[in-house]
Amino acid sequence: MKTARTDVGADAAALAPLQSFLCQFWSDAGLPDAERFPFELALEEVFMNVVMHGSTGLSDVRVQVTLNADDHRQVEMVIRDGGNLFDPLHAPVPDTDAPIEERTVGGLGIHLVITLMDEVRYSADDGHNCLTVRKHLAA
Amino acid sequence: MNVTHDTAQKTTTLHAIGRLDFEAAGGFQKDLEASVSSAAAAGNAVLIDCSALEYVSSAGLRVFLVGARAAKAASVPFAVYALTASVKEVFDVSGFGRIIDVLADRAGALEKVGRGA
Repeated sequence: MKTARTDVGADAAALAPLQSFLCQFWSDAGLPDAERFPFELALEEVFMNVVMHGSTGLSDVRVQVTLNADDHRQVEMVIRDGGNLFDPLHAPVPDTDAPIEERTVGGLGIHLVITLMDEVRYSADDGHNCLTVRKHLAA
Repeated sequence: MNVTHDTAQKTTTLHAIGRLDFEAAGGFQKDLEASVSSAAAAGNAVLIDCSALEYVSSAGLRVFLVGARAAKAASVPFAVYALTASVKEVFDVSGFGRIIDVLADRAGALEKVGRGA
């Protein structure tokens, strides 16, 4: 069992340090590099959503990231932020069949995360957004 | 992320190396748009070699979309090739393979844009 937690401001400049935090956890927990991608993607998509949209009209929004890996390669990441309350799991699903002229990437990030993870849960917890992603890594 | 360029056989190739995340997306978009516009002037095709592209997020996907649209508007043949497993997964889930020509290797991509041997 391995756990790590960090806390950063909702600023795009914190994306690289957050990814380093994830990488460090991954190697400390002895997890395979080839299976890190869905977590890197989820971290960027969820964090950047808070930076771009969740902090509108607010100052000093904090984002806390907690990583957990058990002894059976079950990895869980919890991203908790004090931004505007927003449940991304109820956002409209993007039309991935639309022609090129009508395509946007709005909503695509969370759609990718939902598809690549085993489980994604949202809760509004004490005025904070709390998004939990979980995946059982291949042996 | 690093990008190197080469031009041969009436084709400009951008070799995308590293991570195309939110941070890298703005620079890559400028680079790709400039490449498409020079290619249009020279009558060249544009290819993106993704063999060393390790990571792409939705911010990075947006750049592929903008580039493909600019190429289409300028009648520049455009394709991407040699996607790594993670990048291919993102393209598949997003349905980008239906709006952008994705080829397994350079030979296939050259053929697709009409520069085949």
